[in-house]
Amino acid sequence: MIKVRNIAAAAAACALLATGPVAGQVKVDDKLPTYETVSGVAGTIKSVGSDTLNNLMTLWAEKFKEKYPSVQVEIEGKGSSTAPPALIAGASNFGPMSRAMKDKEMDEFEKKFGYKPIAVQTSIDMLAVYVHKDNPIAKAGLSLQQVDAMFSATRKGGNSSDIGTWGDAGLSGNWANKSISLYGRNSASGTYGYFKKHALFKGDYKDSVKEQPGSSSVVQGVASDLGGVGYSGLGYKTADVATVPLAKKHGDEAIPASPESVADYPLARFLLVYVNKQPGKDLDPLRREFLKLIFSKEGQEVVVKDGYLPVSYDIAKKTLAGVGIDI
Amino acid sequence: MSDTASSPPASRDTEPATLEKTIRRRRQRSSSSLFAAGEPMVWLTGGALVICTAMVAGLLALVFWKGGVTFWPLPVIRVETPVLEDGGSQVFMGEVTRVDTFRPEQSVVDALPEAIARQAETQLRDRAGEAERRLFRTGNFKLTQNHFRWVTDFEIADEIQPEWALVIERLEWGRFYGFPEAFLELTPVAGGDADQARAIASGLTATDGQEIKLLDRRFENGAERDVLIPVSEAGTAHNLQAVALVASGPEAAWEQFGEHRDAVRDRWHERRDLEKFDTGKVSHEQEQARLAVRAVELELSKIEERQSAKSAAAVKAAAKLEQARTRFAEVEKWALAEFDRIRIDIDNINQQNAKFQLLMRTAGEGAIASETTLIPLDQIVRAYPANRLSLGGKVGLYLARWKEFLVDEPREANAEGGVYPAIFGTVAMTLIMSILVVPFGVLAALYLREYAKAGPLVSAVRIAVNNLAGVPSIVFGVFGLGFFCYVMGASIDELFFAANLPNPTYGKGGLLWASFTLALLTLPVVIVATEEAVAAVPSSMREGSYACGASKWQTIQRIVLPRATPGIITGFILALARGAGEVAPLMLVGAVKLAPELPIDGIFPFVHPERSFMHLGFHIYDVGFQSQNSEAAKPMVFTTTLLLITIVASLNLATIWLRNRLRRKFASGQF
Repeated sequence: MIKVRNIAAAAAACALLATGPVAGQVKVDDKLPTYETVSGVAGTIKSVGSDTLNNLMTLWAEKFKEKYPSVQVEIEGKGSSTAPPALIAGASNFGPMSRAMKDKEMDEFEKKFGYKPIAVQTSIDMLAVYVHKDNPIAKAGLSLQQVDAMFSATRKGGNSSDIGTWGDAGLSGNWANKSISLYGRNSASGTYGYFKKHALFKGDYKDSVKEQPGSSSVVQGVASDLGGVGYSGLGYKTADVATVPLAKKHGDEAIPASPESVADYPLARFLLVYVNKQPGKDLDPLRREFLKLIFSKEGQEVVVKDGYLPVSYDIAKKTLAGVGIDI
Repeated sequence: MSDTASSPPASRDTEPATLEKTIRRRRQRSSSSLFAAGEPMVWLTGGALVICTAMVAGLLALVFWKGGVTFWPLPVIRVETPVLEDGGSQVFMGEVTRVDTFRPEQSVVDALPEAIARQAETQLRDRAGEAERRLFRTGNFKLTQNHFRWVTDFEIADEIQPEWALVIERLEWGRFYGFPEAFLELTPVAGGDADQARAIASGLTATDGQEIKLLDRRFENGAERDVLIPVSEAGTAHNLQAVALVASGPEAAWEQFGEHRDAVRDRWHERRDLEKFDTGKVSHEQEQARLAVRAVELELSKIEERQSAKSAAAVKAAAKLEQARTRFAEVEKWALAEFDRIRIDIDNINQQNAKFQLLMRTAGEGAIASETTLIPLDQIVRAYPANRLSLGGKVGLYLARWKEFLVDEPREANAEGGVYPAIFGTVAMTLIMSILVVPFGVLAALYLREYAKAGPLVSAVRIAVNNLAGVPSIVFGVFGLGFFCYVMGASIDELFFAANLPNPTYGKGGLLWASFTLALLTLPVVIVATEEAVAAVPSSMREGSYACGASKWQTIQRIVLPRATPGIITGFILALARGAGEVAPLMLVGAVKLAPELPIDGIFPFVHPERSFMHLGFHIYDVGFQSQNSEAAKPMVFTTTLLLITIVASLNLATIWLRNRLRRKFASGQF
C-alpha cells in the first residue's frame, strides 16, 4: 500500500527546482546513476496496463531500444485493470498501473504463483482536475468535498448539497447559471479507481459523467466544453485547459497542481509498474536492466518530458531494493 | 408520362363527350397530383444523392486540407505581453497554430496593468465585447514545461517576425524556437584541467570569423548552465568542459551549421544502422544459441521422465546438451567481442558528432529575460530560419517533412517522426488477408451455387453467411483472440517453440492472427459477391458446355469462373476496403502502439508473421486520444487519416484496374 505520507516524504526529497531562475522547471535528482549498457540483454519487453503510463512506458522502451537494439518492444495501454490479468497469464513482463493492485487481484496472482507481485514506484503524478481555460474557478480553487459533490451522486465527502451549476461551486456573473458537464475515465482505468477512492471518498460516480477511453480524450473533451470539468494525470495538460487548485477540506488553502507543491497536493500518487519476481531469485537481465534504466538520470528525464514528476534517489534506491537491484 | 399506361384501354372506343370528360379528368389529375407525374421523386432521389456527395466531399476536403497543411512551415512570431506581478515583459515566440474568438470576463481585463487594460477596453468596445486570441506553439518544453501558449490580442505590447528566429526539430523534447547565437566546434578537456585547456587552445587555429574560447559549466541559482569564457580566464573556471572554436552571430553560426550538418547527420545514420542491424544480428545469434541449449535441456528432461539417466537416449541427449552448451559459450564469447567492436565504432561516431554544438538563445520565456541552451548537432532532425525561407525553401521543407513521415520510424511515443512501420503493417495485413479470404470464399460460394442442391440446408447456410456479415467486428476480435491466439497459437508454441516458453511466440496477437481474423470478417462479402457473379453467368452457356461433353468441373473452370471473375473481384474490392479500415478487432489480435520491428527483415527466416504490428487505423486512435501533447498530435491525426485513405483508395484502384482488364478480355472472347 502506498500512503500519502510517503509522497510527502518523497516530495521533500525530490529535487524540484522551486527557487531556481526558471519557474516551473523540474530537475532530476543528481544522485541518480547514469545508465550504463551491459551485455547479454535480449528478449521482448511486453507491457500491458495503464493508459496514464502508456506514453511513459513507450518513451522508456524507446530509450531502452536505443541501448539494446535487438530487444523487441510491445506496449499496450488500455487501462490499469488490464495489467493484473496479463501478468498472471504471462502475456506481459511489466504491468504499469496508476493505482495499487486491489486485494482481489493480488490474491489471484498469488494463487497462480504462490507469491505476490512487486510494485515499483517509478514516478509521481498529480491527478489534476481540469476545467476550460476561461473558467475562473481555476483561480479560486475547489475543495475535495466540492469536487465530490460535482462528480458523485452519493456525496460521501459530506458536502451539504449537490453541485450542478458553476454557481453552486461559487462562481458568479455569467458563470452562475452555467451547468457543469462532467468528463471522466472508463472503469478499466486506474485513474477512475484512484479518483473514486480519494476524491469521491469511495462514493459512486454520477450517471452523467461522460466516460472517455483515454486520459487525453478527457482533456480534449474539457477543452471544447466551456462548462466542462474532468480529471486526468498532470502529464496530459494542454494550453486549452486549466488545472484547478484543490484543498483537502473546505476552508483550507487550495494547492495548485504544480511541481513545487507536490508534498501538499491532495491527489498526488505514485505511478507503479508491477513485476512478477520470485522471492530469492534474481530478475532476468532484460527486466533488471529495464528497471535500472527507469531509475537512471536518463529514465527520470523521460518522466519530466512526459509531464510527470521524477522520484528522488532515496525512493529509487528503496523501491529498487524491493526487486533485488542495488544502485 | 406513365398516365397512358394507367388509362383504361377502352377509352379509345368511347363517344366524343365521354372522351372529352376523360381527357379533362386526366388533365386535372396530372396538375393536381405532382406525385403522379413523378417530378418530386426526381427531386427526392437527386437531393439524396447531392447530400451524400456533399457529405463525402466535405469529409474528404476536411481531411485533405487539414492533413495537407500540417507540414507547411509557418512564420515564427515573437510577441511581448506585460507580466502582472513584477511589471517586466513576458515574451513568447512560436508559430500560430489556431485562432479563437471569445468574450473575456471583466475580471480578466481588470487584472491587466493600467496601460494595457485601457488598450484592451478600447479594443473590446470596438469589437462589441469580443476579443481574439491565438495559440502559439512555443516549444522549448524543457525550459517552460509547456508546448503551447494562448496569447490574447489585446495583451500584446509588441509583435514582430524576427529574421533569425530558428525552428529546430529535435530527436527528443519536441521543437525549439530561438536565435542562433554561436556555432561551437569543441575539443574536450579531460578533468577540467586549465593548463591542458591552454595547451589545446594554443594548438588550434581559428579561421575567419572564429574565436577560441573555453566552455565552462557553472552551477548558478540552482541550475546548471554552460558559459563561454575567454582563454585567459581558464584559471577562474568552475568546471571546464572543452575548448571551443566559436563562430558568433546568427549568420556565421547558421553558415557553419549548414557546413557540418550533413556530415553529422550521415554519421548519425551510420550509428543507427550499427545499432539496428549489426547489434541486432549478433543478439539474434546469441538468442538462437541460448534457445538451442534450452531445447536440448527440455528434450533431456523429457527422456529422463520416461527412462533412467543411464539409458542410451539419455546419454545421447546429454552429449548433445554438452555440445550445445559449448557452442553457446563460443557464441557468447564471439558476441561479446562483436559488441565491443560495435560499441567502439559507435563511441567514435558519438565523439565525432559531439564536437559540433549549436548555442541557442531563447526569445525570453515567462519572467526570464532569455536563456541559452547548447543543442548537439546530432540531436537536430531539421532546423530552418522560418522567416527567411523563400517559397522554394518552404516547398522543399514541406516535401522533406512528408518524406520523413512516410519512411521514418515514430519517435517520442508516436507523437513525432514517421509512420513507416504502420504503413507496412497495414498493407501487409491487408494483403495477407486477401490471399486468405479470396480463394476460400470463392470455393465456398462455388459449392453453394454449383454443386449444392437447393433445399432448406443450403438456405440455412446462406442465411448464416449473410448474418455473419452483420456481426459486429469486435466479436470477430474476441473470437480471434480466444481461438487463434490462445488455442491455435498456444498449441503451435507447445509443439515448435517450447524452448521459448513461458514467453509466447504464436500464443499472442500478431500479424498472422490479425489477418486470419479479418479474413473471417470479410468472408461473407466475398461469398455473397461470388455467388451473385456465378449466378449471373447464363445457364445457356453452361448447357452448351455440357452439350459439348464437358464435365461439371470443366464447365465451372472454363466457362463459369472466367465470366464471373469481374464480379468476384468486385467482392474482393469490397472486402479490401472493409478490412483495411477495420480497427476494433485488431486491438485485440495484434495491433499495438509501438512495434518498430517489421514482420519482414534481414534475420532468418526473414518473415515473422507472429510479430505484433502497427496499424494506421490504430495509430490514428492512439495519436488522437492517447498522446500526451495532444495539441501537437491533432494535425498528425489528419495527416495519418489522409495517408490511410490514400492507401485504401490506391489498393482499390489497383483492383479496379485489374477488373477492367479482365472484363475487356472476356468481352472480346465471348464470341
